[in-house]
Amino acid sequence: MSIEYFLNSLYLIKPEIAVTIFLVLIVLLDLFFSKKNHLLPFFAFLGLLITGYFVIEQFDIKGLAFVTNDSRAMVTVDSFAAFFKTIVVITSLYFVLLTVNSKEMDETHDRRGEYYTLMMGMVLGMFFMISGSDLILLYLSVELVSLSSYVMAGFAKTSERSSEASLKYLIYGALSSGLMLFGISLVYGLTASTNLYELNALIVVSQANSFVLMFALLLIFAGIGYKISAVPFHFWTPDVYEGAPTPVTAYLSVASKAAGFALLIRFIKVSFVFDKDTLGFWSSNPVFNWQDFLIVISVATMTLGNFAALWQKNVKRMLAYSSIAHAGYLLTGLAVLSDTGLIAILVYFAIYLMMNIGAFLIVILIKNKTGSEELDNYDGLGFSMPFLGVSFTIFLISLTGLPPTAGFIGKLYLFMALVDAKMIVLAVIALLNSVVSLYYYIRILKHMFLAKPKENSPKEELSLQQILIVLSLVIPVIFFGLYFSPIVELAKNSILMLGF
Amino acid sequence: MTQLIYLTVLLPLIGFLINGLLGSKIKNEKIIGAIGSGVIGLSFLIALFSLFELLALPEDKRQVIVNLFTWLKTGGLDVSIAYQVDQLSITMALIVTGVGFLIHIYSIGYMHGDKGFWRFFAYLNLFIFAMMNLVLADNFVLLFLGWEGVGLCSYLLIGFWYDRKFEKSTTSDAAKKAFVVNRIGDFGFLLGMFLIFMTFGSLNFTEVFARASGLNVPTYVFNFIALFLFIGATGKSAQIPLFVWLPDAMAGPTPVSALIHAATMVTAGVYMVARCSIIFASAPAIMTLIAVVGLLTAFFAATIGLVQNDIKKVLAYSTVSQLGYMFLALGVGAFGAGIFHVMTHAFFKALLFLGAGSVIHGMHEEQNIQKYGGLKKYMPTTYKTFLVASIAIAGIPPFAGFFSKDEILWYSYANGGLIFWLIGVATALMTAFYMFRLLTLTFDGTPRFDTHHKHPHESPAVMTIPLIALAVLSIVGGFIGIPEVFSGSHGNLFHGWLAPIFKKAEIKLAHYGSHSHTTELVLMTISVIGAASAIWFARKIYLKNPQFAVNTAKKFKGLYKVLFNKYYVDEVYDFTVVKPILKGSESLLWKFTDVKIIDGTVNGLASIVEKTASYIRKIQTGVTQFYAVIMTLGIAVALFWIILSL
Repeated sequence: MSIEYFLNSLYLIKPEIAVTIFLVLIVLLDLFFSKKNHLLPFFAFLGLLITGYFVIEQFDIKGLAFVTNDSRAMVTVDSFAAFFKTIVVITSLYFVLLTVNSKEMDETHDRRGEYYTLMMGMVLGMFFMISGSDLILLYLSVELVSLSSYVMAGFAKTSERSSEASLKYLIYGALSSGLMLFGISLVYGLTASTNLYELNALIVVSQANSFVLMFALLLIFAGIGYKISAVPFHFWTPDVYEGAPTPVTAYLSVASKAAGFALLIRFIKVSFVFDKDTLGFWSSNPVFNWQDFLIVISVATMTLGNFAALWQKNVKRMLAYSSIAHAGYLLTGLAVLSDTGLIAILVYFAIYLMMNIGAFLIVILIKNKTGSEELDNYDGLGFSMPFLGVSFTIFLISLTGLPPTAGFIGKLYLFMALVDAKMIVLAVIALLNSVVSLYYYIRILKHMFLAKPKENSPKEELSLQQILIVLSLVIPVIFFGLYFSPIVELAKNSILMLGF
Repeated sequence: MTQLIYLTVLLPLIGFLINGLLGSKIKNEKIIGAIGSGVIGLSFLIALFSLFELLALPEDKRQVIVNLFTWLKTGGLDVSIAYQVDQLSITMALIVTGVGFLIHIYSIGYMHGDKGFWRFFAYLNLFIFAMMNLVLADNFVLLFLGWEGVGLCSYLLIGFWYDRKFEKSTTSDAAKKAFVVNRIGDFGFLLGMFLIFMTFGSLNFTEVFARASGLNVPTYVFNFIALFLFIGATGKSAQIPLFVWLPDAMAGPTPVSALIHAATMVTAGVYMVARCSIIFASAPAIMTLIAVVGLLTAFFAATIGLVQNDIKKVLAYSTVSQLGYMFLALGVGAFGAGIFHVMTHAFFKALLFLGAGSVIHGMHEEQNIQKYGGLKKYMPTTYKTFLVASIAIAGIPPFAGFFSKDEILWYSYANGGLIFWLIGVATALMTAFYMFRLLTLTFDGTPRFDTHHKHPHESPAVMTIPLIALAVLSIVGGFIGIPEVFSGSHGNLFHGWLAPIFKKAEIKLAHYGSHSHTTELVLMTISVIGAASAIWFARKIYLKNPQFAVNTAKKFKGLYKVLFNKYYVDEVYDFTVVKPILKGSESLLWKFTDVKIIDGTVNGLASIVEKTASYIRKIQTGVTQFYAVIMTLGIAVALFWIILSL
């Protein structure tokens, strides 16, 4: 590899380099200026902004970084990656804001250094999950993200549930990543390659034992499915989401899911799709019937998520199940195996970021005052905290997918993709699932607005900063519900992926 | 400026947001009033400059489409937030913002001290926003958005004083009535829209109208589309059979009656039919229907107006009657004349309502004209402007109403026939009569109220200046439409200005210019002399010999009662429509369909879901080992499936 190649590769991973530099800087600052560690959130925020700038720069770039002798690349840079990295960066920015505004995190303030170091580590891992085009690199980045998130989930050391969540997460994560690694080694054994681009050709040529190959793919999917909490790899989700500190839950539910989805999409599209027709439908390698497989998984995921959410009494746990259900909707978009489906996924993710972070933000702000996430303690809060009540209403309506909120647009594009592909039954199932979801989302509103307020329920008392953060999510949710062509255009321009 | 036309829509929205969200905090009436009126004034100026720009363009270039953004694009449906500036829409926009601006100014004085002052201005601005969307839209969907928006504002403003009594019930009931009746019309409009989309595959004006004149579509399809659209128009523009809401709409504050229920919203139906002129011109049967409905509405509403005693009721029926004239014009294919009458009517009817508001204001909320009298000396400005408006509506030259009304009468004769003209002239005579009955009873003679306790006063300048402005417009507003008979080679300016819009429709109808100018002059003279005698008659009766009116009423007691009770239309509707629906919905829809079938199904499904959910929930035990087992089992099942599919 010549030095020019090397420099060019470094140029292509500028965002990753920026993240790494800030990761190291945070460690150093924490070490040498530990008394001033209250400045660390600002520093992390700044680091993310700079990273974000480099990411946005990459929107129109296409390139392969770290190409080895036989033209295998470790990292792919394209606008698809830039889109998901932007999602990760924005979520991370909100993650910092959520953490700073969460009372729950007060006790961890002396460990801020670790906290933001871990966050940067996760960002780095997710970036490589999004951009990686080699199974080994992908596995390593999944591990990097997982290891950081285990610690984050248990960051509130004094909380028993937080520690329990962390431990469950670890055990379950170890199992899944073991399976994934096993799958990768089988693939390597069959094709003598771990590169996604090479796999595309090799899978056909090698005439590998198709049963073993399918088994291997299944195992790899287990690892990814665990990251995006697809049924039946979702079991950790409710326990971890409920137990972990709320900012961490919000972060896991959006950022790490986004990275997981990006990985899954790239894995399927680069390694199995070899052509697409004029309408944008992909022709995939018949070795594995991804379409049927994804349909089954997506139906199971959304149905289980929505049905289990019905009975939950803890708002955080309910939102955990709701995020499982949303993963199910997103999977339907992938099951279409077409460009329209992919556009729908990207649109949905951009919107999902706003509404889901928004919902968790409200949960945090309410918990700051009431100290509880139990649904019963939400009684009458719509009146004592009108601003939060109305904002929560908007987020929940959007999560349900009703107009005039952005959530409606997300679902509209997903269902449209399904109908375009003549997958009417799946569309109807998804639609019915949304109906079920209405019940548990609205139940929160029922408690907030129709139940009698408790005596001496706390006042709203938000700082200007908090109001602005809420508004920065509420306004887009409404705005993009009415004027959604910018998001759709962005998504259309972001499906360009190296490969087909 | 034309490219900035979206500002004329946006500014009222901004005004609405400021007054609506912050109005209760601002409290200062001057600031709220200035914001509310200011945004409309600015909109008017932008529209005015756009007009000048349009005039500078050659005739075939006078259609500018300003596309803000694509709102929805799925399959064949492509809906943009786009505004179309052309001769027709800019005329409507100027009427809406111009008259609207004057009424906003007037409202500062009229609503002074009202606890809902900010709310009132917020609603008014919202109304202008919706109305501008309606007239400037370049597609049916955006037009419908404005259509529904003005309906909503109308509802909000009729019931503005929701805590006040109105006739036998409350203002909220009047508002509800307006809303429900309008919904019936809206349903027709929606059906028309669906049918348009089915037939032409688009909802964009330019495309639909091009295809309507190009494609070979059978006449019955056009008939259905036109019929459905016309049903929508009868709702919004208060025509038979859906006119019943407009008289009740007088429950709202008087500026609302002037703005929404006289000058602008109620003419939306006329605008819509004129906009779709090519569709209607392709449906000759419906054209005749429109002419007949318009004529009957004009006639019957005028007869009711003869005997009403509530000052606003008289004006309400007069509005229904004048709207009937406009539809008569549309029905006989004189689209330009219809729009011309929309404009002049906006001037003088807004003036009449504002004048009535000034009287009501000065008389401390008294609305019965039998309890007025001799107000001339107390309210000189109101009197003079009211007189101007009355002359204008009576159709005396050279006031604005004369030109527009006469054009309609002429076309109804030329394209419709003698019978159309006769009924039209009879209506005009009645109009002149009831307007001067109203004027005389209110301003002339001796006071019929207790002058010791009631001290009528002239309204403040903020209210009289709009009156004067509208009076000037009512005098000179007709000059842009001087008929060919008088203007000679210039032709009718207003007609010529709008001609390109209606060209295709007029070619299709093709029944013009078969009558001589002499006939036109003769007919014109007859109608003017008739109107003048009706005025003279009204003055004579109500000034010199009021007993004559009472005696006549006694002599024709039956007829008087029928007219006074508005032909019992409300009662008939109540008996044939409202009651059966109430009864039917109670027993069939509510107690059977809703409770048994719908609730039963929903509750049944819900309990199934609930049960299933309670089982699903139990999988999540919290025991990690169990999770791992399930996960491995999941993989095993998938593997099994793969083996089977091999």
